[in-house]
Amino acid sequence: MAHKKNRNVGIIGIGQTKHSSHREDVNQPELIHEAVSLALKDAKLTMKDIDCVVHGNMELFEMVHSPDLWHVLGTGAYGKECIRITTGGTVGATISCASDNLVASGMYDIVMAIGFEKLQEGHTTGGITNMACPLWFRKIQAGALTGSSAYDVEREFGVERADKASLTYRIIMDKHAGLNPNAHRAFGLEFSQIDDLIRTSPKLVGNLKLIEMCSQSDGACCVIFACEKKAKEIAKTPVWIRDHITVHKEENFNIFGYDRKFPVLKTHKFAAENLFKRNGITDPINYFDVFEMYDPASWWAIDWIRDFFGLKGDEHLKLIEDKEIMIGGKMPINPSGGVIGSNPIGATALIRVAEAAMQVRGNAGPHQIPTPVNHALASGFGGTMWTVMTMLEKELNW
Amino acid sequence: MTTKRIKGFEDSYVVEGKMALPYTYFAGRVGSKFITTIRDQNKIMGVKCPACNLVYLPPRQVCDKDFTDIRDKWVDVSNTGKVENFTVVRYNDKHLPRKAPFVLALIKLDGADTPFMHILEECAIEDVKIGMKVEAVFAKETTSTILDIDHFKPEAEKISVHEINAARKQWVPVDEPDTEGKRKGGKPDMSTPVIITAALTGAATMRNQNPAVPYTPAEFAEEAYKCWKAGAAMVHVHAREDGGMATHDHERIRATHDAIKQKCPELIVNLSSAVGMGKTAEQRISQIVAVKPEMASLNTNTMNFGIVDRKTGKIFIDYVFENTFTMLQDFGKAMQENGVKPEIECYDMGGLDNAILIGKQGIFTDPINFNFVWGVAGGQQFRAEAFIAMMNALPPKANFTTCGVGTDEFPCIMQSCILGGHMRVGLEDNIKMPNGDLAKGSYELVEVAVAIANALGRPVATTAEARLIMGIKKR
Repeated sequence: MAHKKNRNVGIIGIGQTKHSSHREDVNQPELIHEAVSLALKDAKLTMKDIDCVVHGNMELFEMVHSPDLWHVLGTGAYGKECIRITTGGTVGATISCASDNLVASGMYDIVMAIGFEKLQEGHTTGGITNMACPLWFRKIQAGALTGSSAYDVEREFGVERADKASLTYRIIMDKHAGLNPNAHRAFGLEFSQIDDLIRTSPKLVGNLKLIEMCSQSDGACCVIFACEKKAKEIAKTPVWIRDHITVHKEENFNIFGYDRKFPVLKTHKFAAENLFKRNGITDPINYFDVFEMYDPASWWAIDWIRDFFGLKGDEHLKLIEDKEIMIGGKMPINPSGGVIGSNPIGATALIRVAEAAMQVRGNAGPHQIPTPVNHALASGFGGTMWTVMTMLEKELNW
Repeated sequence: MTTKRIKGFEDSYVVEGKMALPYTYFAGRVGSKFITTIRDQNKIMGVKCPACNLVYLPPRQVCDKDFTDIRDKWVDVSNTGKVENFTVVRYNDKHLPRKAPFVLALIKLDGADTPFMHILEECAIEDVKIGMKVEAVFAKETTSTILDIDHFKPEAEKISVHEINAARKQWVPVDEPDTEGKRKGGKPDMSTPVIITAALTGAATMRNQNPAVPYTPAEFAEEAYKCWKAGAAMVHVHAREDGGMATHDHERIRATHDAIKQKCPELIVNLSSAVGMGKTAEQRISQIVAVKPEMASLNTNTMNFGIVDRKTGKIFIDYVFENTFTMLQDFGKAMQENGVKPEIECYDMGGLDNAILIGKQGIFTDPINFNFVWGVAGGQQFRAEAFIAMMNALPPKANFTTCGVGTDEFPCIMQSCILGGHMRVGLEDNIKMPNGDLAKGSYELVEVAVAIANALGRPVATTAEARLIMGIKKR
C-alpha cells in the first residue's frame, strides 16, 4: 500500500530557466526569480497565494551559507514559511517529496518547491571534498564521476556491445535535448558518429568518456503543489502525485576501481521494487508511459534501466539498441534530454519531476511524446548511493 | 593533509587539511549597472519599488516585500548619508580592505531606504557616532568593485541656503534715490541679497567636456532644480537638440523652458538671445518673443567671439559675434513690448556705453540689469580695476552681475559680491571646480558662489527677492 496521505496533492505550476553554463547576466536570486516567475505565470498565481516555500540546492556548492535567506529576493519567501532542504544530488526530488508531504498533511494548501544551482560560481570542492578521507571512512562524495558501471556492463556484455549501447543512449539523449528549448547541451550528434566517439572522446575514469558525462549547468526549477481542492480550482490539468519513495544506504564505493564486496548502486532496485509492490504495479515497463531518469552518465543510465524496471538479462540493452527509449518508442526515457543534457544539480532532480509532469499535462513543447501520458515516473540520484522515486498520474483513479 | 598525534591524546589521531576555494561571484545586470555607474559617473543609483515606494541601495532586481520586479526602476540617490550603525575592525587579515583598526559603517544614503556597508575614514575612531553625516569619496583608480567608492568621510557641515533664508527677514527695497556717488569708494550695500544665476549650458560647452551638461528638456529641468536647491534664483539657458547642438527651434526652446518651470516654478528662467554661432537676428529674437521668458540676455556690441589657445595664441575658431546698434535697439524694443526684462551683456566698457547710448531711446526701464562678462576670446580679461571702472560707469539704480570664462569665474564673482553686485556661475562659463576637478553640474558651482556669499556675510537672494531687486514681475 502506498504511503498514507491525508489528502491528494497535485502539481499546478511549473517554471524552469534555460539551463546554461553562461549566466553571467544574473546573480543567484535573479536566476531563481526567472523560474519562480514562470511557475507563478504557469499557475496564474501570485506570491500571495503561496503558503510555504521549500528551497533546495547542493550544500555549499556556491559557498554561500544559508542561501535561502539571500535568495528570498528571488523566491518571494519574504514573511512566509520557508524551509531549506539539502540532500545532495537528490535534493530536487527531496523538495518535491517534502512539498507533497507538507500539502498532504494538511499543513499548507499551496507549497512552492524551488531547486537551483549556479555552478559557474563557487567551487564544488567546498561542498564535496572537505571531509573526504579514504583512510577514515569518509569516501569522496562525488558520486557521478565513476568508471565502475562501465566496467560492470563491459564485463557482462562484452566491450563492443557495451560501448555501443552507452553511446547509443548518449546520442538519444542529445537528440532529445535538441528538442528541449531549456536544455543546456545539444550537440546535434548522429548515430553514425558512435564509432568515432568511442575512439576519440577523452576518457575520464576507466572507460567513462567525456561525451558520456553530464554537464555543470546554471539553472533553476520551480514546481507548485496544491491540495486536491485547490488544484482542481486552479489548474486545468493538475498532475497528481501518487507516491514517492526514498532509499538510503551507507556511502561506499571507490571511484577508481571495482570492489565486488561493495559493488554497485542497489538502492534504485530496492526503491523501485518496493514502490511498485506497494502500489500494486506488477509490470512497470508497460504501466508507465514515460520515465524521467536521473542519468549522470550514459553508463549508469543503461545499467539503471534494468534496476528500475526489474528487467532480465539483456532486455535493458535491447530497449536501447532498438531505440525504444526514444520519443515515440515503447518506453520513452528523458524526452527532456536528461541530466546529460542539463545539470543544475540542486534543480536537476526537481526537473525530472517537472518534466514528467509536463509530459502528463501534454504541453511539454517540442519534446512532448506523441502518445497520451497517463502514468509517469521520475527518479533522483544523489551523493554516492541513494534514490528518490516519484510516481505521477493524470487521473485520480488508482 | 597530514595526520598527527597530540600530546595527551596519543591514542587519537587528528587529521589536518587545507583547501583552496576559488570562487566567482556574478553581480547580475542590476548589480553591474550599480557598480559601473559609480565607476564611470561617480554617481550612486538605487532602485525604487513603485508598489511600496522603498528605495533599495544596493539595488536589487526584485522587491523582497511585495515581489515587484524593479530592475528598471532606477533612481539617483545622494552621495551623502547618515551612519546607521558601525563596527571597528580590530584585527588584520589578508581579505580586509584596510589595515586595522578601521571603521565599517552601515550608511543610509540620502534618498535611499536601506543602509549599505562601507569603510568610514578621515575621522578619528572615537569621533564616529551613529547619526553622523558622511559623504562618499570616489576612488581615483577604479577596480569595477564596490571599492570604486573608496570610502566615506564625515560630511562638512552644510546648512541649506533655503534653511538660512527661511530663518531671516525677507529683504525689502529701500525707497531712496540711488546716486552715482553712492557706490564710489567701494562702499557697497552688503545688506542686499546676492542673486546667484546658474548658466546651465551656453551654446558651446559639450558633454565630452563635462558629462553633466544637459541636452534634453528633462535634463535641463533636473539640473535647474539642483541649482535652485543649491541657492540659485535664476538659470540662464541656451536650449539644445538631443545631439547637443544649440537650437533656435521655438518648440524645443519652449519645451526646455516649460520643463524647468514645471519642475521648479519659482525659478527665474533667463533665455539667451544669442542662441549660438551663425544664427540670424530673426532666429535670435523671434524665439524670445514666442516663449516670453521673464528675462533674456541682450548683447551690446559686435565683437570677435572665438576660440583661441590661451597659452599659444593659436586660433581654433574665428567668429564675429554680430550685435549692431539696430539689433540692440530692435531686440531691446521687442523685449520691452513682450514684458521680457533684458540682461544687458557687456564684454567691455564699450558695450556698456553702447547700451547707455541706445538706451536713450527709452527702451530700458529701471532698474536696468547689467552682466559684466570676462574672459571671452574677443572680450576683455578679468581685471579688478576694470571691474570697478565699469561699475562706476553704471547708470543710477542699475544692478550688475558678472560672469567669467574658465578660471576668471571665481575671482570675478567674488569681486562682484564684495562690491554689492551679483554672481553668475555654471557650465556655460566654466566646467571645473576651484580645485581643478570637473564640476558634477552647475549646481556644484552654485555651491561655490553660496560659500563666497556666506564668507562675506551676504544673504543669498530668494527667487522673490531676486525679482524685487531686478524689477521682474513673476508670470
